Amino acid sequence: MTAARQAVIVGVHATEQALSLPHRTAMDLALEAVQGAIADAGLTPADIDGAQADWPGPGGVPGEGSSWARMLGGGRNLRWTSDSMLDNAGSRGLLKAAAAVRAGYADTVVVGGCRLVSRGPDNAPIGAGVPLEFTDVWGSYVVAQFALVAARHMHEYGTTPRQLAEVAATIRNNGTTNPEAMMYGRGPYTADDVLASRLVATPFHLLDCCIVGEGGAAFVVTTAERARDLPHPPVAVLGGGMEYHQAAYANPALHREVGQIGRDAAARAFAMAGVGPHDVDVFSLYDPNSFEVIRQLEALGVCAEGEGGPLAASGAIALDGKHPVNPDGGCLSYAWNGTQQMTLKVVEAVRQLRGSAVHQIDGAEIAVVGNAGSGAQHYEMSVLGRTR
Amino acid sequence: MSAGRPVPVPSSLSRPFWEAARRGELVVPHCPACGLRFLVPETACPGCLSRDWAYEPSSGLGTVYSVTVVHRVPGPGFDTPFALAVVDLDDGAVLLTHVADRAPDEVAIGMRVRVDFRPLTDEITLPYFVPAT
Repeated sequence: MTAARQAVIVGVHATEQALSLPHRTAMDLALEAVQGAIADAGLTPADIDGAQADWPGPGGVPGEGSSWARMLGGGRNLRWTSDSMLDNAGSRGLLKAAAAVRAGYADTVVVGGCRLVSRGPDNAPIGAGVPLEFTDVWGSYVVAQFALVAARHMHEYGTTPRQLAEVAATIRNNGTTNPEAMMYGRGPYTADDVLASRLVATPFHLLDCCIVGEGGAAFVVTTAERARDLPHPPVAVLGGGMEYHQAAYANPALHREVGQIGRDAAARAFAMAGVGPHDVDVFSLYDPNSFEVIRQLEALGVCAEGEGGPLAASGAIALDGKHPVNPDGGCLSYAWNGTQQMTLKVVEAVRQLRGSAVHQIDGAEIAVVGNAGSGAQHYEMSVLGRTR
Repeated sequence: MSAGRPVPVPSSLSRPFWEAARRGELVVPHCPACGLRFLVPETACPGCLSRDWAYEPSSGLGTVYSVTVVHRVPGPGFDTPFALAVVDLDDGAVLLTHVADRAPDEVAIGMRVRVDFRPLTDEITLPYFVPAT
């Protein structure tokens, strides 16, 4: 029996994803994502009363979500908004929107946005980068910070470069046959191909690391009651959890501190959802590199700490495995578009639970969306469920 | 210096660190209230929120906690490959650094290292580390 204000996802949209989208502006992409998700929900902009969406401008202050109020709500004022890019994406955006919907602060919230690298006044960047004096000066960057955690995990548990390569090959090969993927048609890859690609930062080879690109995505959250007469089977937000360790990139991520980040969030999320990690039919996990998938399998409780490498290399995360991860090809092959890659993880999970994914996992009823970042120094996850 | 490499811009919090580095001394924020030694410097001690912390000398000796050999960097100013390492200082706090004077591939977790200051600009001297033995 679903409570009337149970939060559900009723609409999703992913724009085109590519290395570069020179024919688009950021506002054009954000609008397409937002409008696309609303249309997919069978709703109109007038039905929306909450906007947790990137506002790139021009028009208004870049990043200020209330700028959407002029375009959404059908002449009624918005009741809910958010200014932060991370609050507008993925599981974090979803849980905040779900909390608002459950509490009654808003009824129907659109979450999403886009990434487009600045190209002149029509595409002003949101926020200016400040050099970090204890990390940037050493040539530290996102790949290297994840590598420092991976290297320590390998030292402690004997995780091998080949196990990492198996993860990368498995997820990349899902993208090879996904027409929406940036790397569609490239591959297939073997672990040997990954190990033969050039080193970026040990233990990561080029093919262990995610791609970089541009694109947008969005989804719509409303109540189970409002969802009753909408076209798609609603996807229920069964549970969620978030964890934050420290500021991003200012200090190196340490395996002893964040190697298991997400464990507490997962325990709370699964308890809330009334399911366990082995009930999950499909995982939509942050894959900035191969190792981060291994780490999350442990933190989520799919396996014990230190056993993620052998599990991932056993075929368990493949489309026909016990714990399929990223059937769309993930950030390694489908798309990475800044913070909105987190939203693409929600889009894929919703498609899986609707039964409409490109690489559909048969009978998928429970999905987990895992987002993370900066080493990882934060983790946000949600448990989603099919409702009919 | 290598052109294009990011150069630290000392803040009121970090200026004593960089001034000491220029003199060849490693100093680390120490909180007398809770005993924590920490980096990066912050307005309040991350252990107890006391604002009465002060820089104290470090022996500059430590152990490599983790290391990655970086072959590709997103910006200019670095000679690759280099060993980017996390060092646990014996007397507390953790530093990100490069371990030099050893082939990057030979820098291993558990290696004993000591600080070795090297100038980057007139103002900034960086705390590299080298094998201690």
